[in-house]
Amino acid sequence: MFPADFAYARARSLDEALDLLDEAAAADEEVKLIAGGQSLLPMMKLRLAAPQVLIDIADLPELKRGGFYGRSHTIGALTTYRQLARQRSVAQAGTPALVHGATSLVTEAPALGDALAVLADPQVRARGTIGGAVAHGDPAADLPAVLLALDAEVVIAARPGRHQHKSSSQHLARRRRQSEKPSNVERQAMLLDDFLQGIYATDLAEDEIITHVRITIPGAGASAYEKFPHPASHLPLAGVAVVVTFKSGTLTDENGRVTPLDDGTIAHAAIAVTGISPRPYRARAAEAVLKDAFPTADTLAAAAAQVTRTLDGAELSLLGDQHASAPYRAHLAEVLTRRALARAIARADAP
Amino acid sequence: MAVAREVSVQLMVNGAPRTATVPARTLLVHFLRDELRLTGTHVGCDTTQCGACTVALDGVAVKSCTVLAAQADGHEVTTIEGLTGQPGAGRGDSALHPVQQAFQDEHALQCGYCTPGMVMAVRQLLADQPRPTEDEVRHALAGNICRCTGYQNIVAAVLRAANSEG
Repeated sequence: MFPADFAYARARSLDEALDLLDEAAAADEEVKLIAGGQSLLPMMKLRLAAPQVLIDIADLPELKRGGFYGRSHTIGALTTYRQLARQRSVAQAGTPALVHGATSLVTEAPALGDALAVLADPQVRARGTIGGAVAHGDPAADLPAVLLALDAEVVIAARPGRHQHKSSSQHLARRRRQSEKPSNVERQAMLLDDFLQGIYATDLAEDEIITHVRITIPGAGASAYEKFPHPASHLPLAGVAVVVTFKSGTLTDENGRVTPLDDGTIAHAAIAVTGISPRPYRARAAEAVLKDAFPTADTLAAAAAQVTRTLDGAELSLLGDQHASAPYRAHLAEVLTRRALARAIARADAP
Repeated sequence: MAVAREVSVQLMVNGAPRTATVPARTLLVHFLRDELRLTGTHVGCDTTQCGACTVALDGVAVKSCTVLAAQADGHEVTTIEGLTGQPGAGRGDSALHPVQQAFQDEHALQCGYCTPGMVMAVRQLLADQPRPTEDEVRHALAGNICRCTGYQNIVAAVLRAANSEG
């Protein structure tokens, strides 16, 4: 099985890749970026995609470098699932783990580790990238659910002035001040929740390239990802990622009396669902049930019961296909939400 | 740099430099089999599921039906043919790699079609986890399908290979 014929070039820099995108657009040719190609190549072999031009961005140095600042991790778009599962993180006292050599990103955000262990298979995880996972816009992708629950941002590069994304550019501003030479490349960050739009549809324009994905590791809390995989494709018939943050710290009243706030109630829960709707989504109605709640089995079940509803109580429009009907997927999502919440909370309790 | 329908690829295959000009859409597995006549790497499902085409790209197991030859340009590929004579293999060029030897000892193949991919996937597993549990072995072989359903002996072979190595 071959892909349809295409023209290929491997870009050596972000600047060159943006030029190649413009050249293809000027020639009115359909162009696709390829990094790991673990989603794109199978689609091209089945002729579900037939780009005329393929630009290989696997060597772009600008998409490989990452870093962390406090609890915020900026992950290069070319980071493979395999590398992500092995990526070092910050150690306890904010000391770089490269010095301590102890902790990793997946121990800090266990939901990531959960997803990376059940996503596709080891060979695919060795090639597939985090940038590709969000750029592909697959309604049944595992990783975007975890990233959504972690309030991830997508960093996008383009020629200056061409696009205006909803931006939260605090960290980008810092980077721009540090850069010495004027750049012909503009970077913008936007929430993944705004970036994902529908079935294989995202806010990425034809002349833009994702350079990084940024996540912030939550403080006092824990996370988990649960999925029900299709036995052949390993894709989730439903998948649910949760990040639970507990109340912490103390409150001092006007008489100087100090009350500890870490009484085991939930400050905030983030719940993201994949595999059952046109795009992975945040289950805000279920999250609202858990706000300021003590996590009993009844509370978790009450939250899970809302996982396919919008904040105003309406039922979301869900996808069904030959593998599983929409009501069955909704049922799976509810069960998996309960399980993921219980797993995350058990992790938070563990010493 | 301009885009092109034909690409010149240069890569190290089993330690030897190989060069060819191929259509850009050529998949690595077809490059290995048709251009280089290394037919030990098999095409099974052709849809990234069965793992029969598993090779090591820069030392890491990947599915060569889902990599373009052009993407492998400038990189190193090890196929099943390259396992003998590598570090870890026994004495002599024809000696089997410890994973191959364990497959023979445990009769871990029936028709043998999936075997090259299984061996290449197991090589990766043992490189990552020298002492896997049975559960970890089964989990690590999620990307390799044996349609003879001979998994029992394959898992036994992996555990034997793990115990035979240092």
